[in-house]
Amino acid sequence: MTKPSPNKPAAARPPIGILADVRRIAGFTLVRIFALFITVLIGVYLSILIANMGGKVDELRLVQIRSNVAEAIRADPSFFDMPMAERTSLIERQVAMEEERLGLDRPFITRSFEYLYQAMRLNLGRAEQMHSDAGSRDVYDIIVERLPATLLLFGTANVLIFFTSLFAALYLSRRYGSGLDRAVIGLAPSSAAPGWFYGYFLILIFAFLIPIFPPGGMVEAPPPEGKWDYAVSVAKHMVLPVSAMFISSIFISIYSWRTFFLIYSSEDYVEMARAKGLSSGVIERRYVLRPTLPPIVTSFALMLIGLWGGAIILERVFNWPGLGSLMFQAIGHRDSPVIIASVVIFAYLLALTVFVLDIMYAILDPRVKLQGGGR
Amino acid sequence: MINSKKWFAGLLLMLLLIVTALFFVRPPAGELAGVDLILEDVDVGDRRGALVDEIVFTQEADINKIAELIEGGSHQVFALGITNATTFRRIRDSVHTDHSISYGSSGEITINPAGPNFNDGRINPFHVPEIREAMNWLVNRRHVAEELYGGLAVPRTLAVSTAFPDYARLADVARAIELQYAYDPERARRVIGREMEKLGATLERERWTHHGAPVRLTILIRTEDERRRVGDYLANILEDSGFEVERLYRSAEEASRIWILGDPSDGRWHLYTGSWVSTLIMRDQADQFTSFYTPRGRPEPLWQAYQPAPEFDQLADRLQRRDYTTWDERQEMMAQALKLAMRDSVRIWLVDQINVWPRSRKVSLAGDLAGGVSASALWPYTIRYRDQVGGRVVFGTPSLLTEPWNPVAGSNWLFDTMIQRSLEDQPLIPDPFTGLYWPQRIDSAVVTVQTGVPVIRTHDWVTVEEADEIVVPEDAWIDWDAADQRFITVGELHPDGVKARTRTTIRYEDDYLEHHWHDGSKMSIADLLVGWILSRERAKEDSRLHDAAHQLAFEAYQRHYRGWRILSEQPLEIEVYSDQIFPDAEVMVNNRALSVSPWHTLGLGIRAEHNGELAFSSNKADRMRVDWMSFVTGPSLPILNRHLQEARADGYVPFPKVLREYLTEEEVAARYDTLADWHAARRHFWVGAGPFYLHSAHPVERSVVIRRFEGFPDRSDKWLRFARPEIPALDLDGPMVLELGQEAEFDLHITFDGESYPPEAIDMARYMVFNGRGELAHEGDIERADNGRWRIALSAGQLAELGSGANSLEVAVSSERVAMPIFATHVFATVPTRRAAN
Repeated sequence: MTKPSPNKPAAARPPIGILADVRRIAGFTLVRIFALFITVLIGVYLSILIANMGGKVDELRLVQIRSNVAEAIRADPSFFDMPMAERTSLIERQVAMEEERLGLDRPFITRSFEYLYQAMRLNLGRAEQMHSDAGSRDVYDIIVERLPATLLLFGTANVLIFFTSLFAALYLSRRYGSGLDRAVIGLAPSSAAPGWFYGYFLILIFAFLIPIFPPGGMVEAPPPEGKWDYAVSVAKHMVLPVSAMFISSIFISIYSWRTFFLIYSSEDYVEMARAKGLSSGVIERRYVLRPTLPPIVTSFALMLIGLWGGAIILERVFNWPGLGSLMFQAIGHRDSPVIIASVVIFAYLLALTVFVLDIMYAILDPRVKLQGGGR
Repeated sequence: MINSKKWFAGLLLMLLLIVTALFFVRPPAGELAGVDLILEDVDVGDRRGALVDEIVFTQEADINKIAELIEGGSHQVFALGITNATTFRRIRDSVHTDHSISYGSSGEITINPAGPNFNDGRINPFHVPEIREAMNWLVNRRHVAEELYGGLAVPRTLAVSTAFPDYARLADVARAIELQYAYDPERARRVIGREMEKLGATLERERWTHHGAPVRLTILIRTEDERRRVGDYLANILEDSGFEVERLYRSAEEASRIWILGDPSDGRWHLYTGSWVSTLIMRDQADQFTSFYTPRGRPEPLWQAYQPAPEFDQLADRLQRRDYTTWDERQEMMAQALKLAMRDSVRIWLVDQINVWPRSRKVSLAGDLAGGVSASALWPYTIRYRDQVGGRVVFGTPSLLTEPWNPVAGSNWLFDTMIQRSLEDQPLIPDPFTGLYWPQRIDSAVVTVQTGVPVIRTHDWVTVEEADEIVVPEDAWIDWDAADQRFITVGELHPDGVKARTRTTIRYEDDYLEHHWHDGSKMSIADLLVGWILSRERAKEDSRLHDAAHQLAFEAYQRHYRGWRILSEQPLEIEVYSDQIFPDAEVMVNNRALSVSPWHTLGLGIRAEHNGELAFSSNKADRMRVDWMSFVTGPSLPILNRHLQEARADGYVPFPKVLREYLTEEEVAARYDTLADWHAARRHFWVGAGPFYLHSAHPVERSVVIRRFEGFPDRSDKWLRFARPEIPALDLDGPMVLELGQEAEFDLHITFDGESYPPEAIDMARYMVFNGRGELAHEGDIERADNGRWRIALSAGQLAELGSGANSLEVAVSSERVAMPIFATHVFATVPTRRAAN
């Protein structure tokens, strides 16, 4: 704490205090934004280096281009009686053209900074090999096309898991040691298996043995023409993947939250509230949920941006056209612009979330103050 | 806190629940047997076009679900070649599923022949041809095929595929070479030992050393498929032969950096587990030797390290250039090249892999012997339910709508082109079992070749003639002037005249241009011309449609091209001149035949590319920074639709100086009216003339729907005879023991489905007799007897030449109806006569 200067009039203090607060908040914001920007910059450049294996991917692409051209020419009868020198020259021209198209005729290090510059400006550019399902080569179109499917499936599953586990945990924290509590603890290790593992069983049981749900896809083929029919079909196709994710996550999630709530439930002020005879609902809301709100909000926000990546294996098991399978294809094609775009969007989303959370903490938790704060 | 017992108990409980659920809900195996299968053929009546009403394609890449999806009835056909033995067994054992097989892939060992020493001074044993040749005796191909590939492969010894016609044509030679190089590890080790000692290596404690250091071999093993086991097997047998072996397990990309890009003289690898794929039956494999054994095969460093013997090199070059004058000469050259390739052995062929294509037992269709269902040209014409006409079939494919569809330079992904084939009606269709073409829209053809150019014909719809010289008429069109928008005639380009090696005269069906496109518009001669012009326009640098990627391939094609002209418009008859030769006349006709493309849809694409809004090819789209044109989905559609409205208003015709001569204003207006209706109903611009039309495409949902085109001109059962490959079955019978001095007669019954095989369909039936030392003693043609039976007679003199011992009679039969030959063996003993013995 700093003492007010005796030379300054007392009446001037409040405006100076507000200005100082604004200055402090602005300074904090700028520093935070700058720090996050640097983090994103480094993260994205590292991703560019990793996605291109430090430039080694160029070599792989060159081999692939050469092989494709050579095999295409080998299989084409038009080239059968072409003299070798002419054939080699033709192959070289084809390869050179493809190298130029992909920019492989320029050093990787130069291109890496171009990638970085464009990525930081969120100019996602054009894919090198891939297309959106509808046929566009713009990376933006490619990603945006898959986004709804991912948000729908993983959003539904994660929101369901989050709130179910939260309230179930709260409930169990009041019934510590009960049969139900022990059962949930006992089932927590089931989360050691990933969602796709349960997915296979669910498909086997509910799609093949008792065929009440489709084994995969986002909608039946061909898709129903009416909007309601379409929505019902999508909902039906979501049941098994959502169930698989739910089964694989719910018990460990309940267990984690329950343990978390138990710690807070044994705080002195909660015991005091109980001693005062407050109802358990009031205790939960005011004395347990309120102080635990920041971590809950953090967890929820991170869960939301975690939707971005989808889940590669689960999407493949359920044949779900989401961002996970898109990334799988992009990695397979070594399509750097798509991989980088996915990373840069995630990085920006994460930075934004962290920034917003910083502010929300201050609102939600009176104990959190800006550095240098007077209170 | 949870202790470990609770964790374990929880996991156990979960698994128990799953197992219990599976136990209660899984029906007993016996219930699966109750499938109602009606396999009788049904009368198609007067039905035209496809035998089913609708096909829905959906994306399904998980091979583990296939059997269940078919059993559940949600899918009927999978365009997915299975090579996994476990999945195959699951499909084979299901009473609901059936399958066809194809042989397009092959496995081999690629050898690094650099040397004699690598750059670091180490010796490379595989620089020595004798050691490479010995590898053929060292590997047990039957073990590789049956154990390592789980039975989904057949042994292969030679440079030509065992499923393609050249193998059938040279079956006797092939069999003799196969027996010569049969598994004989002792012989292999003897040869390797001898040659290693010549290199200065010594065998110490059963380990080869050179200058005191162990001889270490590096095997580059691919990890994605069965080749991992092949690599391990190879490493094991080489370790048993005294070498120290390093196993490098690598994925395709990692391995290619080493074996394709790397300098073989660096010695980073000795052997690589290679594989090659062919999606169509290669009727002429004469170029295999150049491609796989000589530096001319590819420009990469490995190929440049090949040093074939001069005789082999020259032979390979001549075969690739088709430098022979008679068919017999070619066969002799092929036989000799096969033998020399074995001595060279820079690659050791191991197996031809079998791909299994699953489908419901209720459905049948013609799969291609090389490319399976996905590469079959006849699948749209033959797919049907066995117990009904009509209905819907659901097709699972690993991918679809992978790249934008346009008819000029759109997606060429296997599964996209598979669907597109059902939407088009080509003039000729390849036989799925022989690769020879059959006429679909062609009445007849005459192939005239220069005297001495060896071309054979198999079918009677084509005639082969010879001429001392073939002069190309002056009025034939040979090129296109993009600036003036007109044809360039032979007279203009070659004022002194030009000759060609071949002339192909093709007469189309009488009503060919009376047919209708899917949108209802009638075909015209402009549809025949537009594709030819567009192909040249795209190769011209002064055209706005110029495409550098197309230009290179076009130049190669144009090298042989000598012009064409229309002899008659009704019926349509054309004449094409070219210097390019194919051994089969049927293939030559297919290569020359022009097909129709709807000028009014192509015109919209031409306008869009002219305006710099879209591009036909991927390469040009990237250069122009615009979208790759799609006639089916995505951002291209609004652009094409705008051009439709403008073209409709302007009465636009592409290449108007030429095409307007063949079109009236009413025809032009009618075309755009029908196309506008088509687009309004279907929301796409893909207009074809095949047995199916594109009903709808759903790119995000990954499905495509095609429906039967009721206006298709042909009867539905036109191609049904190709629903199954008529692979002959051989039953070879004869005496087991023969006394020298006797004559012998062996009986061969060639059948298909229990019935005698039509003798006129047998292309070749040869026998070979090998004596007890495995040497070829006699060979000859098998005589035709009565009742579809065949007879092999060996005289007393022939038997006497065998001497006493165990002999084998090998029979090779090939049919005109299937490319692959069939073999049978009968082992018999020759013993001295009793009198002589006494």
